[in-house]
Amino acid sequence: MPLTGVETARMNRKKGDKGFESCYSLSLQGFVELTIFPTVANLNRIKLNSKQCRIYRVRINDLEAAFIYNDPTLEVCHSESKQRNLNYFSNAYAAAVSAVDPDAGNGELCIKVPSELWKHVDELKVLKIHINFSLDQPKGGLHFVVPSVEGSMAERGAHVFSCGYQNSTRFWFPCVDSYSELCTWKLEFTVDAAMVAVSNGDLVETVYTHDMRKKTFHYMLTIPTAASNISLAIGPFEILVDPYMHEVTHFCLPQLLPLLKHTTSYLHEVFEFYEEILTCRYPYSCFKTVFIDEAYVEVAAYASMSIFSTNLLHSAMIIDETPLTRRCLAQSLAQQFFGCFISRMSWSDEWVLKGISGYIYGLWMKKTFGVNEYRHWIKEELDRIVAYELKTGGVLLHPIFGGGKEKDNPASHLHFSIKHPHTLSWEYYTMFQCKAHLVMRLIENRISMEFMLQVFNKLLSLASTASSQKFQSHMWSQMLVSTSGFLKSISNVSGKDIQPLIKQWVDQSGVVKFYGSFAFNRKRNVLELEIKQDYTSPGTQKYVGPLKVTVQELDGSFNHTLQIEENSLKHDIPCHSKSRRNKKKKIPLMNGEEVDMDLSAMDADSPLLWIRIDPDMSVLRKVEFEQADFMWQYQLRYERDVVAQQESILALEKFPTPASRLALTDILEQEQCFYRVRMSACFCLAKIANSMVSTWTGPPAMKSLFTRMFCCKSCPNIVKTNNFMSFQSYFLQKTMPVAMALLRDVHNLCPKEVLTFILDLIKYNDNRKNKFSDNYYRAEMIDALANSVTPAVSVNNEVRTLDNLNPDVRLILEEITRFLNMEKLLPSYRHTITVSCLRAIRVLQKNGHVPSDPALFKSYAEYGHFVDIRIAALEAVVDYTKVDRSYEELQWLLNMIQDDPVPYVRHKILNMLTKNPPFTKNMESPLCNEALVDQLWKLMNSGTSHDWRLRCGAVDLYFTLFGLSRPSCLPLPELGLVLNLKEKKAVLNPTIIPEAVAINQEAANNPSSHPQLVGFQNPFSSSQDEEEIDMDTVHDSQAFISHHLNMLERPSTPGLSKYRPASSRSALIPQHSTGCDSTPTTKPQWSLELARKGTGKEQSPLEMGMHPVASAPLSVFTKESTASKHSDHHHHHHHEHKKKKKKHKHKHKHKHKHDSKEKDKEPFTFSSPASGRSIRSPSLSD
Amino acid sequence: MAEAAATAGAGGSGTRSGSKQSTNPADNYHLARRRTLQVVVSSLLTEAGFESAEKASVETLTEMLQSYISEIGRSAKSYCEHTARTQPTLSDIVVTLVEMGFNVDTLPAYAKRSQRMVITAPEFPDPHTYIKTPTYREPVSDYQVLREKAASQRRDVERALTRFMAKTGETQSLFKDDVSTFPLIAARPFTIPYLTALLPSELEMQQMEETDSSEQDEQTDTENLALHISMEDSGAEKENTSVLQQNPSLSGSRNGEENIIDNPYLRPVKKPKIRRKKSLS
Repeated sequence: MPLTGVETARMNRKKGDKGFESCYSLSLQGFVELTIFPTVANLNRIKLNSKQCRIYRVRINDLEAAFIYNDPTLEVCHSESKQRNLNYFSNAYAAAVSAVDPDAGNGELCIKVPSELWKHVDELKVLKIHINFSLDQPKGGLHFVVPSVEGSMAERGAHVFSCGYQNSTRFWFPCVDSYSELCTWKLEFTVDAAMVAVSNGDLVETVYTHDMRKKTFHYMLTIPTAASNISLAIGPFEILVDPYMHEVTHFCLPQLLPLLKHTTSYLHEVFEFYEEILTCRYPYSCFKTVFIDEAYVEVAAYASMSIFSTNLLHSAMIIDETPLTRRCLAQSLAQQFFGCFISRMSWSDEWVLKGISGYIYGLWMKKTFGVNEYRHWIKEELDRIVAYELKTGGVLLHPIFGGGKEKDNPASHLHFSIKHPHTLSWEYYTMFQCKAHLVMRLIENRISMEFMLQVFNKLLSLASTASSQKFQSHMWSQMLVSTSGFLKSISNVSGKDIQPLIKQWVDQSGVVKFYGSFAFNRKRNVLELEIKQDYTSPGTQKYVGPLKVTVQELDGSFNHTLQIEENSLKHDIPCHSKSRRNKKKKIPLMNGEEVDMDLSAMDADSPLLWIRIDPDMSVLRKVEFEQADFMWQYQLRYERDVVAQQESILALEKFPTPASRLALTDILEQEQCFYRVRMSACFCLAKIANSMVSTWTGPPAMKSLFTRMFCCKSCPNIVKTNNFMSFQSYFLQKTMPVAMALLRDVHNLCPKEVLTFILDLIKYNDNRKNKFSDNYYRAEMIDALANSVTPAVSVNNEVRTLDNLNPDVRLILEEITRFLNMEKLLPSYRHTITVSCLRAIRVLQKNGHVPSDPALFKSYAEYGHFVDIRIAALEAVVDYTKVDRSYEELQWLLNMIQDDPVPYVRHKILNMLTKNPPFTKNMESPLCNEALVDQLWKLMNSGTSHDWRLRCGAVDLYFTLFGLSRPSCLPLPELGLVLNLKEKKAVLNPTIIPEAVAINQEAANNPSSHPQLVGFQNPFSSSQDEEEIDMDTVHDSQAFISHHLNMLERPSTPGLSKYRPASSRSALIPQHSTGCDSTPTTKPQWSLELARKGTGKEQSPLEMGMHPVASAPLSVFTKESTASKHSDHHHHHHHEHKKKKKKHKHKHKHKHKHDSKEKDKEPFTFSSPASGRSIRSPSLSD
Repeated sequence: MAEAAATAGAGGSGTRSGSKQSTNPADNYHLARRRTLQVVVSSLLTEAGFESAEKASVETLTEMLQSYISEIGRSAKSYCEHTARTQPTLSDIVVTLVEMGFNVDTLPAYAKRSQRMVITAPEFPDPHTYIKTPTYREPVSDYQVLREKAASQRRDVERALTRFMAKTGETQSLFKDDVSTFPLIAARPFTIPYLTALLPSELEMQQMEETDSSEQDEQTDTENLALHISMEDSGAEKENTSVLQQNPSLSGSRNGEENIIDNPYLRPVKKPKIRRKKSLS
């Protein structure tokens, strides 16, 4: 990165008068001051990141500086291009993102250092950059929540907060938006007097403005922090100082204070835990938690503050949400240490931070919720990552982009580039985090927890030493973690070589798939174990190394470590016990316990009770192991490890026998057994009961059990009044009816008895004496009702009316109606009941009992409903779209993706459409037409430029619907076929290649590709604008930007036209930011206030900033003049080619092929060797 | 003092009662009430320091007192009937008093005042003169029946209520041909959706209070604690309008604790310096 400096952001925001109900103008005015220490001479251009901001004026050391604003990610592919192929898009998108990647020294905003200062720069003197900017109704990065009720902004609970995925700070102020550029901060926010501005660092003071209507919050963050970790939340917050830790402050929206008190009352224990295990104090001097509405993600951690969703707040009456919220709190706090305080060197080091924070969060889980919960969680996470990798083909933790050869592209199986966080699919990123902490656990297994914690402590103490250093910013690099640095401290601390482990799981993607089976050789008293691997399917890899196998014999449990090698499949394991010599003896288990077992079920010849492969989950694997049903049953009953129990439950589904039934029932009844195991036993029992429906004796499965456990002694059909004091039985009580509803009789209908039973549970439900709310319980009862629904018997597709309604369904509908209506009068916590009712109605629709109609869901999906309800309703609409193939509903959803005010909902719709697509690439569907392709293309190409996550979501959807190549519903391009015939190639649309190559080549031809990027990434390169820009006048660069902004039809443009004609400097300072031109008389809601950085005494800690790696990349600026010529030249070249494309296609292609091969190695490898970093281009050709 | 008041009351009403001895019981009752009120007024006057009073003024005050009490009774009756009860409860009275602009909180202190006078009222008659003891059937105490009854009652109420709501408001229906069998109250978006979703309903709060009073105590404890915290520095920043919710009535308590907490968000907002650099060079 060329620039490091002390960045001082000043945001001034205030609110205007009320009475602005119809037209909110949400904007902010700000100014940023960066102090930059040049590390090379000849620095004459400075690149910063900025998106959405309207920049009025840039001054360097009080001299006006010219600047160019160019954001290639606004429109990834040229709008006139008819390319509709995802491969092409992904490459272009990756290139666009790299072109503004701050880690590569790029940025959207290019500032030219005035020539007067060149001498100054050559002496390596400090530069101070002032940028005045405004932000008008931002679509991303900063989210305004303004409820439309009467009253002042504060009374309405209006608030705003920063949000985004990865480094997204550039959306709300110009900065070097990288996690690796550290500087100290002084932040000032001027807000309405009724508001509180919460930001990073210490609140130094709060001062009224002169009119006493506003306050300015002064924050100081002396710990060097990356711009990406800067955040802001402003609102009429209620303030709660943590009663245990006075330096911790909690904020919530009005009226929620009692909930906040309860929710945060636990936080101090999390603090204590982390500080104890890390033997390190919390690095910042204060900590703030802010709970806001319409959150982007549930938890977002920034330097010394975390932003949470307000929906995590709960009262003492809520059982289910409590552990979830505590987990969120703990997660965010773990990220404070690793992620905020310690930042990452580059994107490929992200896994270390996510891994460590996830790992220590896991330790907290173990301590708080117990070993069972922890192991269960690990197993769950392992299953998730295994399933994802097998589905998509692998998650790579540490991508290295050094090789340069196309075949080395680490993510060729994916439809997006993993080179950059902003191109990643959200799902991939969540899985990435999951894998990271699992791998960290593997490292712990290898080097022991003690060493692991020592490593963390070392990282933290180095960082905190560095953070207190003032002037030598090269020390600050200690605050950045890199993969190599991390591995080095591991080997220093532990003395162990973990390279093979890293190579296996970090440098390489894929998981291991084991198939195991065994035979017992009675003569040799040997267990012959065969372990096969599948390493050819996508997402798998070959495992070579030790593998632990645990064999439970009659004489005890024995661990064996097998060496998995290339060719050896069979392993002989000697058994210790002679089969069944002394029957009466108790059998010792792994944990030393000795138990009596009924051994009559087992094979008389074999001493084996059960066998487990990799019991400690020390390989990221999936194991399919074959053993006899009785062995699984023994394992379920007697193995004390919850993971083993869960595995055996899963396996027993395939053995529907009375013995399995008995084993499961026993587990269900066992109070000491882990509740989650018992819960999954319920579902397994239901499946088994269905498989053996013809031979099943007695009442429906679980009914008598439930009666015994939860119903009154005197009247077994009536459930006891609720008492949820024992959470274990609460969860069981909740789950059992849901599982029971899955039972089916010989006609594949839910038995009448079960339905009556569930209806009775609902009827007799009595929560008056309960300390806890029963909303989750009632919601699950509705889920149970929905589960009991079976497809309607339909005669000739008759229309569904009330008259032909099945009487059972009528009863169900009666309950749902009542519940749903009662929710309007007495809403439940998080509206869990409404959510369940909506789902149940969709189930009824889908099964043909109720006419399929999305109108109800659409009304619940509207903005203004609680987010959980909206998501549930949208899910139903998505499902309807798929089942009924409704174009209208699909359009409605797509409109919502573009227009909904809540980013999370937009993201979620895309996500749900991807998970439950209306059609897929291999499917014929009336929905699949050219207009839809164009619409989606536009969405991902330009419609989602304000939100990385959303754009990646759109890419995912496009991939699911149309695949990587050109969508099949599009007509073939005119000349494409001719060319194909000549070339005899199966390329459907050859036009792709010339264009992609053209871009690549253009990039390649500029060795110092830096300035050239302006040309190539410009979405309007067909227009002649940029060649004509005269960079030397302030006036023109302003005009240039305005022009481009206008062309882009950005939301904030209306006001811009006012400034365009401004030719004198003074006129460039805007008087107002009027968000809405139609109401010129009204005052702006958030308007301008220019502030000036105090150059006085207090800024001493801010004045330093340098970066060790900064020197090298800067040199690229020096070649600017020549390079820009190149760029111009090639630009023309490219342009011409396009025109001639039709005629010269053939020749053209060859030429480019040649070019691209030659230049393949060059593009983007421009960063100088001294920097130690190199940036690869994504695979643009081939 | 008490004696004086009593005699004054007795003397005042004595002549009246004497003259209308022979009227019907209702009048008698009226007179007795009137007399009692006069005793009360007299004693209050004595308590207030009067040694004697003109009859006309005593009568006026009695009249005022009577109408005040009647209004309480009337209003309490309405409140009681409004909630479908026949027996007024304490809360009915409290609401009435509040409604009439009376500060209920002052009542306990007033009742406990030192100079309170004990009025020697005539003895109540034998309880059986006004207690009615009707004969009931044996009350049903079978658990099952009770649960059954409670369940169906609640269900009926809920059903009736929701149907009523559905009838009076906008509805949605699952069946196009029939809108009345399963009427769903139409979904109405909220302006601030999270409030209804997160805050426990009043009913639940009430339940909480009933079920577990010990925890409730604990809660109020923490509440107090938090209030103290937010009270910090309240004296110093009186002239500043702070964002904190200040509750001046509590500021006096537990001073020691407050001083320890120093949180920047609780500090007073500073006034702008008069000479502040404001120009942008």
